[in-house]
Amino acid sequence: MNEGWRFFLLFFGSALVANILLIRFIALCPFFGVSNSLETSLGMSISVIFVMVMASSVSWVAWNYVLEPLHVGEFLYIPTFILIIASLVQFVEMVIKKSSPPLYRAMGIYLPLITTNCAVLAAATESVKPGFFTKLNIAYSYGFIESVVYTLGVAVGFSLVLIIFAALRERLDMAPVPKYFKGIPIAFITAALFSLAFMGFAGMFSL
Amino acid sequence: MNWSLIWKAGIGLAGLGIVLGIILAIASKRFHVDVDPRVTEVLAVLPGSNCGACGLAGCEAAAEAVVQGKATAKVCKAGGPEVAVKVGEIMGLDMGEAVPVKAHIHCRGGKSLSPLRAVYQGVSSCRAAEIAMGGGKACPFGCLGLQDCALVCPANAITFDEEGIRRVNVKKCNGCGLCADVCPRGLIEMVPAAATVFARCKSRYTGKRASNLCKVACIGCKKCEKVCPVEAIRVENGFAVIDYDKCTNCGDCAVACPTDTIQIWVANPADPEGGEFTVPEKEKAAEPV
Repeated sequence: MNEGWRFFLLFFGSALVANILLIRFIALCPFFGVSNSLETSLGMSISVIFVMVMASSVSWVAWNYVLEPLHVGEFLYIPTFILIIASLVQFVEMVIKKSSPPLYRAMGIYLPLITTNCAVLAAATESVKPGFFTKLNIAYSYGFIESVVYTLGVAVGFSLVLIIFAALRERLDMAPVPKYFKGIPIAFITAALFSLAFMGFAGMFSL
Repeated sequence: MNWSLIWKAGIGLAGLGIVLGIILAIASKRFHVDVDPRVTEVLAVLPGSNCGACGLAGCEAAAEAVVQGKATAKVCKAGGPEVAVKVGEIMGLDMGEAVPVKAHIHCRGGKSLSPLRAVYQGVSSCRAAEIAMGGGKACPFGCLGLQDCALVCPANAITFDEEGIRRVNVKKCNGCGLCADVCPRGLIEMVPAAATVFARCKSRYTGKRASNLCKVACIGCKKCEKVCPVEAIRVENGFAVIDYDKCTNCGDCAVACPTDTIQIWVANPADPEGGEFTVPEKEKAAEPV
């Protein structure tokens, strides 16, 4: 397999086949929380892509150059990554607020909400421990570029589903839904059907 | 026990925490941005759970919107009136949003005044009746009388008598506006609590067409418009509408109104309902012949 093809598979594998929201059921809280309107879900998506890629690249460096050499990675990776992600998000928020107010207005307000987002932690963990949440025990670790491509795939998959789902929910508001299914219940049912549809990707290839 | 591992873990994590803390401390000085102090104050008053019920992205966005004047002091739905009062204090109450309001139902056609054209036997709900060909009432704009507003009212302030006449108990009404949302014909308006002059009909029909359907309908004659000294009352879409920002409660329009659609609310603390609607003495009777 040549390099480009491998990156392509890695990207689409993490975005569609093992979609973080619909196949792995991680980060369901923002999935239902901010999918009320297309506008908020767009802002959230951009911020998630940005933070996820930055957080997992820093986490990859911390894992490979701090935790592994000290042999403490196996039990310290969660507190370390959370610490890194939280500080990084704070730092990025400050820098954006100072340097680019329009960008801050567009995505800065979602940044504090992502600080402890489980999807970001999951992506950071999986970028250093491939297949961790799918219990595949892949005896293989990503290089830096691979981990970035992988995380980008996860984040794009998250955004794709979030935006599609937000558009769906905007239409659901207009639909003649029975009274007791209005709002969140019908959103859950729709998400389940959506998830079934995404299961179809599983046959194409796996990570 | 592997002491060296514990030392490494402890020192590693503490070191990481200290380094990141120092970086953040320097960054917060280096990248400090001056914000309007009122934003910080408003943010401190808001609940801070970023629930998003206001439709904005979190409490900080809400605080900014309030300070920029894009949102009212009542922006926080979760916080309710207490938070609204505190936000209003910070903003100096200059937005005029803290004016207490009460509900008013713009229809006074009861069973004897406004005839029926059919007998509605469906679900006892105004919203259901409105879907089912507009219910039994002949007037297509008037109150259907199936008490959706009374049922939704958390303070039990709206009552209906046998005649089908609705009364809003101003002592109980807390101005939440739920009844205004629920009325399928949009008859309920939240008006300033101090208002005493009311145009009590929303019939879009004018003249004979309106009075045939209801004895107390606004016929759109525009007499009120002519006598109003401050141009607060206008006939729009066939019925009189009072702009309470301009209205001085002088009551001239009520005197001029030929169908008694415009009435004066006389507050009476002794009354269990807080007062009642009255019709002023008409000028023609008072004029010397």
